[in-house]
Amino acid sequence: MTWLSRLLRKGKQDAQLDSELRFHVEQQTADNIAAGMSPEEARRRTLAQFGGLESRKEEAREARGTQFFDSLIQDIRFAFRILRKTPVVTAIALLSLALGIGANTAIFSLIDAVMLRMLPVQNPEQLAQITFLSPTSSRPRASVTNPIWEQVRDHQDAFSGVFAWSPEMFDLAEGGEVNNINGIYASGDYFDVLGVHPAAGRLLTASDDVRNCPGVAILGYGFWQSHYGGAQSAIGSSIRLNGHYFPIVGVAQRGFFGTDVGENLDVVIPICAEATLAGKDSALDIRDDWWLMMMGRLKPGVTVEQAEARMKVLSQPLFSAVVPQDWPAKDQDRFRKFTFGILPGATGTAGRYGLRIQYSAPLKILMFVVGLVLLIACANIASLLLARSAARQKEIAVRLSLGASRARLIRQVLTESIVLSAAGAILGVLFARWGSALLVRFVSTQKNQVFLDLKMDGRVLAFTIGIAVLCGLLFGILPALRGTRIDAISAMKEGQSQSSGGRSHSSAARWIVAAQVALSLILVVEAGIFIRIFANLMTVDAGFDRNNVLMVEANIHNAGIAEPARAPLYGQMLAKLQALPGVVSASQCWMTPLSGGQWDNNVTIAGHPLPSGVDPDTLLNWVTPGYFETMRTPLLEGRMFDARDTATSTPVVIVNQLLARRYFGAQSAIGEHLTGGSQGMLRQPMEIIGVVQNAKYTSLQEVFQPEAYFPLSQIKGVGEGTAFEIRTAIRPSSLIPAVRDTMASVNNLASLQFTTLKQKADDSVAMEHLMAVLSGFFGGLALLLTAIGLYGVMAYVVTQRTHEIGIRIALGAQHSSILRLVLRDALIVLAAGIAAGLGVTWIMRLVMQALYGIKSQDVWAISLAVVVMACVALVATYIPARRAMKVDPMVALRYE
Amino acid sequence: MTRPVTDDRSEFLKGTLDMLILKIVALGPIHGYAISQRIQQISRDFFQVQQGSLYPALHRLENRGWLGAEWRATDTGREAKFYSLTKKGRKQLEAEMANWERISDAVALILRTAE
Repeated sequence: MTWLSRLLRKGKQDAQLDSELRFHVEQQTADNIAAGMSPEEARRRTLAQFGGLESRKEEAREARGTQFFDSLIQDIRFAFRILRKTPVVTAIALLSLALGIGANTAIFSLIDAVMLRMLPVQNPEQLAQITFLSPTSSRPRASVTNPIWEQVRDHQDAFSGVFAWSPEMFDLAEGGEVNNINGIYASGDYFDVLGVHPAAGRLLTASDDVRNCPGVAILGYGFWQSHYGGAQSAIGSSIRLNGHYFPIVGVAQRGFFGTDVGENLDVVIPICAEATLAGKDSALDIRDDWWLMMMGRLKPGVTVEQAEARMKVLSQPLFSAVVPQDWPAKDQDRFRKFTFGILPGATGTAGRYGLRIQYSAPLKILMFVVGLVLLIACANIASLLLARSAARQKEIAVRLSLGASRARLIRQVLTESIVLSAAGAILGVLFARWGSALLVRFVSTQKNQVFLDLKMDGRVLAFTIGIAVLCGLLFGILPALRGTRIDAISAMKEGQSQSSGGRSHSSAARWIVAAQVALSLILVVEAGIFIRIFANLMTVDAGFDRNNVLMVEANIHNAGIAEPARAPLYGQMLAKLQALPGVVSASQCWMTPLSGGQWDNNVTIAGHPLPSGVDPDTLLNWVTPGYFETMRTPLLEGRMFDARDTATSTPVVIVNQLLARRYFGAQSAIGEHLTGGSQGMLRQPMEIIGVVQNAKYTSLQEVFQPEAYFPLSQIKGVGEGTAFEIRTAIRPSSLIPAVRDTMASVNNLASLQFTTLKQKADDSVAMEHLMAVLSGFFGGLALLLTAIGLYGVMAYVVTQRTHEIGIRIALGAQHSSILRLVLRDALIVLAAGIAAGLGVTWIMRLVMQALYGIKSQDVWAISLAVVVMACVALVATYIPARRAMKVDPMVALRYE
Repeated sequence: MTRPVTDDRSEFLKGTLDMLILKIVALGPIHGYAISQRIQQISRDFFQVQQGSLYPALHRLENRGWLGAEWRATDTGREAKFYSLTKKGRKQLEAEMANWERISDAVALILRTAE
């Protein structure tokens, strides 16, 4: 009979055992009667000799080896009964657990999706990303040019297959407001090497990706469902991308989102189609346009190191074949010295906006925060269970004296804890699903939408079960050990207030609360720091006024306008925009602030060389005369661009204060000449005619850098994309229809994208916003849990000392001295907790400094946290303290 | 008639109870009560099995696969659980008996020499 079958047939076997022993007893009794005893005497003797029928049965059952499971099921049933008996306590415990475990699971599932999960393709552990290293830098670069890719594709032998891709947004609309979808350019072998199957139709092949191809389109599964209803008729129809039509030949398998974590895939077209979409500006033969990323699948048995070594050997001939011919000789040499490197690719790449890079630190910090919150919640539950076990002392004493082993009782209490934490975990999982979806939505900004599949995979499930069990053990172990370590007889005799067990309970509870205070302090300090960082960013002087500015990004590629006609067209648009009602001022520029893009170059000032070590890199922009007025960037010196600055007049430039100070110190910059690098029209010296205040360029977080602005009227080679800024008197978004119509009236094929400067500013601080909100929420939660814990312990202590307080009052003690007595107790706990918390915070600062070089002396946050903590603690203690004062000595003295 | 069970006898018994049970069962299928009677009989009343400790031992041996069991009718018509020796049990019995002989030989040797 196997162990399992024995377990299942327990009932029948119990009956058999019963029968077997009864048979023995009957036989022995019969023999005794035969030996001359009376029937009663015979039976009595037999039973006495047997020595306790039930315990013999128990021993026999034990011998069978299913004892453990029998008692486990018994314990679980008992646990449910106990938890049901105190519904309020159980509810509070469940809620705290659900929040704590749920928050942990939510953050972990995010970490799993962003950093740990492998790509949903075939054998992802064989994938590797191909990067390259410049001899002058230590950071590997992921993007290569198309000529480099073609070299790798045709000559590599380190991988069984390689592919390249580039993420791109494609516009489905024809003129007017854009309707962008997420797409990629992919090489012919993309799907083959990844091992992806079609859900319908076929996928890309090598023959789809040859020069001058007509181009085909593969849809992503989700896009196929949402835009085509999953209809088979989608295959064979055409999709219009950026004004060009491509036949749809297939749909990728469900769940495939590409290789960039956090991105989504709506459509895939071959790299050769870039020529069709970009026309003259095609990057296919440009040797210094870095837009493609590469990955390869390792050959079976080949390690990453071996493949990397092979690629390094291939580097020199491959790079030398595609050196940009128009680079200066020094840079060409550097190019030839590029070497390939390999990064593991099983979990995907960092994505276009570096989701993984951007969020790995915040996610780890959040994991730490929710971990602490869970600890605090567990501490509360430990206190609750400790108090309850103090109340159950009589019951436990009776059990011990009836022969229960202490180990058995400990196991029973632990089972109760684990049942509680299991129930809390189940609730927590539900909460986590909701919470992590909310987090992802929070993090998705208008431009960079984040797509993460937050399904509960094995890893997340194991994590949840793991912390649930750990929590159960954590808050159960103390009550289990303390609660069962009692002197049975004295426990049954004494009253609750006098038991020494009660006193030891309260001291344990005090330690627990002190620990809670310490942990909460840490969290409140963190919250204070993050909230301050966010508040600073929201109120920072960005150098421009971010309110009430509508931004329009326009692209006239679809209109097919020749270069000379573009500037006049833009002028027309700008004039009409400026005439719209509700518009205070409007201007045009090349690079909108906070767009994430950057145009920079080294500048030189004649006669004013920079001291060595100072970076001459300067941020650049083309603007129309009304730009600074629209952005409300103050002019500090000289004048702004105006009608005097034309294509034929003196080349002029406006610089910002930082640049002026850096080159000229206290002297005026007006009249000096600036050269913007060694290429193109920037090569000619430009006269500085004005100095403006420093303005943020790419993001609100950056430090100010030197900036130089050129007038749009002096640009040579006007592009097809530009941006308009419109300062409005009313809410910017209400002007969108009017602007749309105005732009359409000038040229209805221009594609437009609307946003506001405020939106961009908010998006650029999305992460800081997230951290501030979350750390504030969890800090507040931690404070609440600690306050509850503190209240509970203080109330318990007061109850314990009711007798003593009654005596004191009877002896004439003032109310204030009683208050002081109770408060002193609380103060000691509080002081210990704060001291410990400050100590840990200080150690953490040191660790952060050592690991990340972050130095933060946020004395303000720390002192505020201490004050908040003290206030909360005093409020929590006040109620029990008042109760202490109101003790009626007559009642207390009689209290047992 | 009370039969006192002295302490050192029952201590001795605990360590060898398994072996005694196996030996008795080896003689043929037998139920629990009869085993306890037989032990008393054969040892000429030297060993008195605490009736209760017999059954845990029996179940333990059954658990280990050394004893097999089946329910049969006794001559009185009552159903009882009869134990028999399995092949594994027979091997275990032989091993234990050999071990026991070695121990008793060694003890005898020491006792003789110590004189």
